[in-house]
Amino acid sequence: MYKITFVTEEGSRTEAFANDGETILSVAQKSNVAIDAPCSGNASCGKCRVKIVSGEVDSRQTRHITDEDFAAGWRLACASKVIGDVTVEVPDIASAYKSRMRVADLSSPAELKIFRDATDQVKKAGIEYRNNMDVIEIQMDAPTLDDTRPDNERVADAIEEKTGIEKVRLPYSVMRKMAHVLRASDFHVKCVVRTTAKNVFVYDMLPASVDVVIGGLAVDIGTTTVSAVLLNMKTGEILGKASSGNGQIRYGADVINRIIESQKPGGGRRLQDAVVKETINPLIQEICRAAQFPKNHIYRMAVAGNTTMNHLLFGVDADPIRKEPYIPTFFKTNSLFASDIGIDIHPDAHIILAPNIGSYVGGDITAGAFISMIWNRPEMSLFIDLGTNGELVLGNSDFLVSCACSAGPAFEGGDISCGMRATDGAIDAITIDKETMEPTLSIIGEEGQKPVGLCGSGLIDTIAELYVNGIINPKGKFVREGERIRHDKYGMGSYVIAYEKDADSVKDIEITEVDIDNFIRAKGAIFSAIRTMLRQLELPVEVIDDVYVAGGIGSGINMKNAVTIGMFPDIPLEKFHYIGNSSLTGAYSMLLSGDAERKVYELARSMTYMELSTVNTYMDEFVACCFLPHTDSTLFPSVKLR
Amino acid sequence: MPFNRKAHKFNASINEVEIGTGDKAIKLGGENTFPFYSFDGSLGSGPKIGVEITDLGLDAEPEGVKAYYAGCNTIGEIAKKAAEMPGGDFVVLRLAGGDPNGANKSVDDLVAVAKEVADAIDTPLVVEGCKNVEKDADLLAKVAGALQGKNILVMSAKEENYKAIGAAAGLAYGQKVGAESAVDINLAKQLNVVMTQLGVPASSIVMNTGSAAVGYGFDYTISTFDRVRAAALGQDDKMLQMPIITPVASETWAVKESTAAEEDADEGWGPVEARGISMEVQTATACLVSGSDAVILKHPESVKTISRLIRELV
Repeated sequence: MYKITFVTEEGSRTEAFANDGETILSVAQKSNVAIDAPCSGNASCGKCRVKIVSGEVDSRQTRHITDEDFAAGWRLACASKVIGDVTVEVPDIASAYKSRMRVADLSSPAELKIFRDATDQVKKAGIEYRNNMDVIEIQMDAPTLDDTRPDNERVADAIEEKTGIEKVRLPYSVMRKMAHVLRASDFHVKCVVRTTAKNVFVYDMLPASVDVVIGGLAVDIGTTTVSAVLLNMKTGEILGKASSGNGQIRYGADVINRIIESQKPGGGRRLQDAVVKETINPLIQEICRAAQFPKNHIYRMAVAGNTTMNHLLFGVDADPIRKEPYIPTFFKTNSLFASDIGIDIHPDAHIILAPNIGSYVGGDITAGAFISMIWNRPEMSLFIDLGTNGELVLGNSDFLVSCACSAGPAFEGGDISCGMRATDGAIDAITIDKETMEPTLSIIGEEGQKPVGLCGSGLIDTIAELYVNGIINPKGKFVREGERIRHDKYGMGSYVIAYEKDADSVKDIEITEVDIDNFIRAKGAIFSAIRTMLRQLELPVEVIDDVYVAGGIGSGINMKNAVTIGMFPDIPLEKFHYIGNSSLTGAYSMLLSGDAERKVYELARSMTYMELSTVNTYMDEFVACCFLPHTDSTLFPSVKLR
Repeated sequence: MPFNRKAHKFNASINEVEIGTGDKAIKLGGENTFPFYSFDGSLGSGPKIGVEITDLGLDAEPEGVKAYYAGCNTIGEIAKKAAEMPGGDFVVLRLAGGDPNGANKSVDDLVAVAKEVADAIDTPLVVEGCKNVEKDADLLAKVAGALQGKNILVMSAKEENYKAIGAAAGLAYGQKVGAESAVDINLAKQLNVVMTQLGVPASSIVMNTGSAAVGYGFDYTISTFDRVRAAALGQDDKMLQMPIITPVASETWAVKESTAAEEDADEGWGPVEARGISMEVQTATACLVSGSDAVILKHPESVKTISRLIRELV
């Protein structure tokens, strides 16, 4: 047994013991020390860098670590075996993975406009944004020796008089404070209630003098990113918003790795804590602090996430999801409350869940398909959610078919060496001169902002520009030489987008062949899913009238470039529409509108789920798609080299 | 009702690629129909057989091969004898000794071997690398240069090293280039696309879409041939119309059916050499009837058998 001491940049220390030969990464995971490991410890992604402060580890140098960094003690945690006592410095996880994650969280005017347009469309379809949450004010007579009703009957009678509903439910949290609140307010109180045809549920009781706003929280739980908005349940007004990386990332980049991790001893609890305690609760804290809103005035929460995320959120065994015949514990449930899973809002707050429809098509898609409105049109439309899992829904007002493919975190900036979220410093668009190979960058932020990295839309542009200018071949390998093209000692090529001196970074911003390869696989997964789905339905691509693209990739996505790299079918560009983070917008709608909630459930019931892994041509199609734009170039007649 | 035969015609054909020079030059490909469907169309100049030798000499070879080359002391003499093997159309020099994990011979030494072989024969020459992508990139580029004017086929340009081999063999020195991919129609096509984008003319490319011995995942090899030919002829896919050459000997003589001594083998397996020949013949036959335009063999018995098969069917 050796002693391993983890030290973070902020100075916190964790001590752990390990056997000879264990990797630093596995020791860290067991001790709940956050090290970013998207590839689950295969030494392929290079994200789990740690610095050896004292002691020795048995570690080989990989291409991810330069000679200088290696000499300075930097190692990959997954490729470092324990051979003695050691002290390891772990980079701050917030900067390591949370900050580089991109998610549309309605923080820019452009995103907000997309959000408003989407909800307007929903309203036009006759969905009313109305719900059964309300604040009722009641004035009761104070008890006397002649009027000896206990407090709870007094309140129930007053509520019945006000609402006409006989059955009033007063939960423990209200019972406990009732005596005090009633007497402090001279029996003049406000009650936060949910009214159904049969009963009235009282969430809270406050003195009438208090201004009560019923808060609601809509949360999109993505495999890579989580975003949340706080809203006023009566007016629909957005009171606050925030987003961050999903704290589960350190346990693997995709759902399969997360499920595997959850099967280790204590794993289910660790993954639940990572999303609840380390991700959602801090977001709530951040939002409520900024909006000066009391956390326990959030009385309802709506969650949209994929099936695995839902299971891990609720602490339910997710293992059957990945094993044939792929049956999850639940598709939908309406019996969950915030206190069940430790969400830091009102303990009785009901959690509304966008229903899952398959092991790999979850609530994020039912919520998103609802927002895309493809169910309300006779024309055939395609809804695409670009996330770690790419999901598709094809159909119209008569039928809907969905399928899912694993695209990896590339669209959200994960697995890309210079990837980041679309915040200040992100390159969101780029053009490259054919002759000089010099780039022209568009950078998010104020005038004079220096580039930091590439967000999803910038990544699509970069690869499309490198390709049409003949700088990379259709396999994504560099075929031209120039000042900005480099090759490392392992022969891997890269293109310098911005030199260190011009960038707000400690190193050059460059895109490598590995980054390009990761992205080509991601786009290949999407397009092969589209092709396979159409082929299974025996429909030609021309049948698609509109394509609705959702996801956290950035609103500035250049659809022409997305077609150029073969991510989307080569149909007229005006048919493409970006609808933002439709999962979050869907959760927002379900929270605010009983109509919307019912409609999403109806969509989930009527959607057919197609399992691509059982279609034997999918893999073949995928290999054909891992090429720019496609091995069959006749599918992309509009794509021309410059 | 009388039988009315309808020919299945394609509006496409496989490229004809010439290797070698002078009278002994041969053409690979050229057919516009399925393998041996001479009743439907032209088979071009018909399937061809390459005779494989390696720079490692004869020590590890089966007895029948040793016997055939008896008396040959230099690689030049071996090559000359290979060129004379009845039924063979061209000589294949496999530079196996270059493998860094094996004999690790220097590039200069191997280039000298290639020159010696080329000078000793007047039949067309195909040169294969050592299967190490980095070594091959350097080695095959230099071989292509040293043998300029001989119109050889330089095999083993893969996705990882096609730039070096394609640029030297296909562009700088005017040789033919063999594009090697791993039993997948899409990967085969992708390599042809990037190779032509590099500037190598499609008419200078021959494909090796992958090979295996029968029983060793061979169905993938066969279905790849099948699909490549169907796309080339049926869909007129220009990026799949290159002729296919398939190394057979290097696969079949390495499996246990061909190597296990009679006393170690299961009862009834019979003499080791006969088994080896049988594996080579079966594999080569299956390759040819599924779409390969040339096979590379090494045992004189196999060459004799397959050449007779071709003669009878064409």
